[in-house]
Amino acid sequence: MSVTPKPAGGVGMDWMSMGIGILIMIAIIGAVYIWFPPASGLMGFLDPSNIFMALIAIIVGGALIGIGVHFVPVGGAPAAMGQAPGIATGVAMLAGGAGLAGLFGGAWAAAIEPDPGIWVVCMAGAVGGALMMAITCMFVNVIYVYAMGIPAASGKAKVDPITGDTQTEYKSQGTEGHGLPFISFVGGVVGGFLGGLGGTLIYYVLLEWVYVDRLLSDALGAPAVANVTPIAVSLAGMFAIGLFLVNAVLAAYNITGTIEGPHDPKFARWPRAVVATAVASAVCGIVAIGIVAV
Amino acid sequence: MTVKIEVIAGGIPHDQLMIAGLVGSLVCIYLTYLNVVTSSLWFVVFGGLGAVCALIWGSNTIKVLCSYGIGTGVPSAGMLALGSGVIAMLLATRFGLWAPIVAVVLAAVIGAILGFLANNVLMMKIPVMIRSITEMAVIGALSLMGFSAMATGSFDFTGLSTTQGGFLGILNVGYANSFMGITIIAVVFFLAAIAIQHPFNATLGPSWKQDRMLWLAAECGFLSMIAVAVMSFAFLSFEAASVSLAISIILWAYTYSQYITLSKRDAAFWLDSKPIREPEGH
Repeated sequence: MSVTPKPAGGVGMDWMSMGIGILIMIAIIGAVYIWFPPASGLMGFLDPSNIFMALIAIIVGGALIGIGVHFVPVGGAPAAMGQAPGIATGVAMLAGGAGLAGLFGGAWAAAIEPDPGIWVVCMAGAVGGALMMAITCMFVNVIYVYAMGIPAASGKAKVDPITGDTQTEYKSQGTEGHGLPFISFVGGVVGGFLGGLGGTLIYYVLLEWVYVDRLLSDALGAPAVANVTPIAVSLAGMFAIGLFLVNAVLAAYNITGTIEGPHDPKFARWPRAVVATAVASAVCGIVAIGIVAV
Repeated sequence: MTVKIEVIAGGIPHDQLMIAGLVGSLVCIYLTYLNVVTSSLWFVVFGGLGAVCALIWGSNTIKVLCSYGIGTGVPSAGMLALGSGVIAMLLATRFGLWAPIVAVVLAAVIGAILGFLANNVLMMKIPVMIRSITEMAVIGALSLMGFSAMATGSFDFTGLSTTQGGFLGILNVGYANSFMGITIIAVVFFLAAIAIQHPFNATLGPSWKQDRMLWLAAECGFLSMIAVAVMSFAFLSFEAASVSLAISIILWAYTYSQYITLSKRDAAFWLDSKPIREPEGH
């Protein structure tokens, strides 16, 4: 039995594989363009509620989730023992919590009549995710400082990039830092904001641009659009949860374990995650759109 | 470059488990079609059994993947499985009788692309990554389809999204109170997710034994089946739902006792603790 506990997670980029991934994405975008051609002319192309633009929005939403996960300070098991900074759980759980909280906020806003528009809904989701992470980060620090009796100190940066507070004096020997420094707190809130924004964008475009727009009621043979609204909400919600978890776990695989926040050297890996989550969102997005057409 | 941190030793080979899980799950899910043939609802319990077949296979797949130390915790693999599985499963339900086959094929395609992204684009460089994530997506789709068939008696999108028949004698075709309409599928999603990620997470370590993990996987699957059977009272006749609830409880109790027996076998020491008695007259 060998003793390497965790994969190092390769550094650099595999350009060949990235190219194959981007080719898959372009092929899917082209397939949707042919399958559901947008109305002719420039205005038809830019009309937001065509299905082609919905796929683009899903890809953008997935990439936002992928970036957002990199901001969240994930400590894992070492953080639970006060030996590493961050929130003491895994990436998938943390991103899932923030993203689903954001999705609930966005779904609440999307149910308002008349439709408040994509920006209000997406911002409601983004603020929901950010609020969830802000509350989580605050109580993590309350527990670290008042229950475990340890100060917040980063292990990866000598000076906090925002406040300028020195870190090394407070770091205990033999640890990688502990607690949740201010930069990690800010990273958590930004990560929750981006994750909630991406998840809600996917939910909104699937619901309003694809399912409610007569297509689902035609596919089901239902007499009126209003009859299938519960089905449309349920489908959009399940596809949004599925897409969110896929993208969050792929981003977590990119981080391979723990990350302190935007000042961590691992943060520089985000371009790989953007490519991977965009391709994954395109693959899952065409399936989510296809349910109204087969 | 990653190094395997736990050796898979002994037990049933993974390929045999995969074939048994895939075939068993597909056959059991198709057996729920006997409901349509005999126009009754007695066969719904086979959907749950199909899901349990897939979950047992899935626990071993998670073991194969996570023995490389993916660094993000065992539950993340289960979340990826169900997240990609639900996407494939929902589209597959539109294909009527072909739904389980389409779910397997579609989930395999999605899983293979996700595995390629994780292994090559994100540079995880784990030899079993692509195959494992492909299997996990199939397992997620099959377990969701099995539980859905158990709750409603159908694996068809029309069956999942409509309620037919009457309430207080009024015949009515409705969408709002259906399996999809009240989003019971979200509950089923997390019941399957807990059942797939718990077994290896709970039994990993130096004293890991395959038979103990597989019995625990079956136990978790039947525990989820009990919850699905309770929810199926809303969609099925009282008698059919009662039968599937009784079968679920009996199978759960049997697998639970087997798991406790194996835990006692593998434990270093076993002490039956008694409740602490409070001294009287304090």
